[in-house]
Amino acid sequence: MDYSGKEKEALAIMAEADKKMKTSHSMFGTFFGSSSKVEEACEMYVRAGNMFKMAKNWSAAGDAFCKAAQLHLRVQNKHDAAVNFLDAGNAFKKSDPQEAVSCFCQAIDIYTDMGRFNIAGKHHISIAEIYESELLDIEKAISHYEQAADYFKGESSTSSANKCLLKVANYAAQMEQYQKAIEIYEQIGTYAMDTTLLKYGAKDYFFKAALCHFCVDMLNCKLAVQKYEELFPAFSDARECRLLKKLLDAYEEQNIDAYADAVREFDSIARLDQWQTTMILRIKRTIQDENDDLR
Amino acid sequence: MSAYPKSHNPFADDDDEEDSGRAAPRRGFNFDDDPEESSLSPAERRQRQLQQEVMRTAQSAVDSSHRSLGLIYESEKVGAETAEELIRQGEALKRTERMIDNMEQDMRTSQRHINTIKSVWGGMVNYFKGKPEPPKPAQKDQPVSYEANSRLQNALVESKQQEDKYQASHPNLRKLDTSGFGASASLDNGPPDQNGYPKNKQLQAAHHQLDNNLDEMSLGLGRLKNLGLGLQSEIDDQDVSLDSLLNKVDSMDGKISSTNRQLKNLK
Repeated sequence: MDYSGKEKEALAIMAEADKKMKTSHSMFGTFFGSSSKVEEACEMYVRAGNMFKMAKNWSAAGDAFCKAAQLHLRVQNKHDAAVNFLDAGNAFKKSDPQEAVSCFCQAIDIYTDMGRFNIAGKHHISIAEIYESELLDIEKAISHYEQAADYFKGESSTSSANKCLLKVANYAAQMEQYQKAIEIYEQIGTYAMDTTLLKYGAKDYFFKAALCHFCVDMLNCKLAVQKYEELFPAFSDARECRLLKKLLDAYEEQNIDAYADAVREFDSIARLDQWQTTMILRIKRTIQDENDDLR
Repeated sequence: MSAYPKSHNPFADDDDEEDSGRAAPRRGFNFDDDPEESSLSPAERRQRQLQQEVMRTAQSAVDSSHRSLGLIYESEKVGAETAEELIRQGEALKRTERMIDNMEQDMRTSQRHINTIKSVWGGMVNYFKGKPEPPKPAQKDQPVSYEANSRLQNALVESKQQEDKYQASHPNLRKLDTSGFGASASLDNGPPDQNGYPKNKQLQAAHHQLDNNLDEMSLGLGRLKNLGLGLQSEIDDQDVSLDSLLNKVDSMDGKISSTNRQLKNLK
């Protein structure tokens, strides 16, 4: 396909749409034909945006969609405006993340105004993902995930809310905000163990909560493990529980080799994921530090 | 899970022989009566070979059971994630159904308005028809939190009770008392075997490990089965609601296009 041709066409359409807007600014235009002119201009902006997308000129596409969205806002056409802001955001995602975030935010404002919190939550997740991957601002990502979780909870979409909360907890633990992470994991774990289908994953959440407890203080971890066993009997059968007990024992004896052995044994059957490995290494380092202090 | 009765484990007899240093007629091997010759007598060499083979087999059995255990846990993880996704999907479906019901309500209202606009007669008909019926009883104003299929809960409780009875009756699952075998075969060769385990320490350890792994595998498989059943009933439920949703959306589609046509004609 001849993309440069498309781009020229798109530029031409943009220019035409701009001209239409200018003419409709005249006195009579605003009274008589402006609405149809504005709608035509909107449509042309959208077409131009799509052509820019075909030509892979993402920033120009984003601009076109933004202009279309603002026109829709002028004629109080909120739905269409929000949709166009979303298109703009998606286009900017590939070229200018900051602009994308602002477009998404505008779209979210419109949706929350209309009361569509589910969709607003979904877009908060998109923004948070941008912060995770492109802009690498974990704090902002966490705040967006939290906002999304609140919206989802308000609309009783518990499973979507839980998905966001899990991400919040993961990042919180990585940034050493253990208390927050523990609360979230325990909450989700207790919720999961009551559901027939979800209880197979509940032990995972309790395991993560216990690891966070461990990073704070070993005694906390012991009490926590006991509490979880009482709450959720199936937890004691899980391999994770056995691993935790072995780690606790190794920590008490300050025995690094036993610790490493237990981890290796667990790993041989089923891999530990990135997050769990980080936590376990942190705990191991505290053992090593204490050993060094003793020497 | 399964016991190792001595009579099925000819190699275990070798180990007794090795420990005791005595020769005794065994099944399948023709030994001389005095093995006190050089340790490289053909019989003993064969014995050592077989022993090594036994160790190798036992080790590979343990390894493979390790791998199977790993696979089972992986499947469980995948199943748990699938379950979460399914539940999320179910919630979305319920939401969609609620929204479609709302749309239907709105469509009816707009139809009434169009009737009024079309003609005066239509407006009078509307007056006599009265207000549109209140929403169907299935639709609630308060969004109901989604509950996954709970039929399985009862099945789970039942199956746990059955499990014990099943174990007692099934021949393979019964923990056989094989100490008798050990006593008869080894004569006065020290304490009898425990539960039919061979005397060789390494082999014993390997078999012990294998037993543990098999136990865990059986537990894991049981969990997997229940998870699968739960997923199945959840999918069945969602199937039903998908069908009803399809019907509603189709009828909604028809209504919308007819309303559009009417509006165009009004001009």
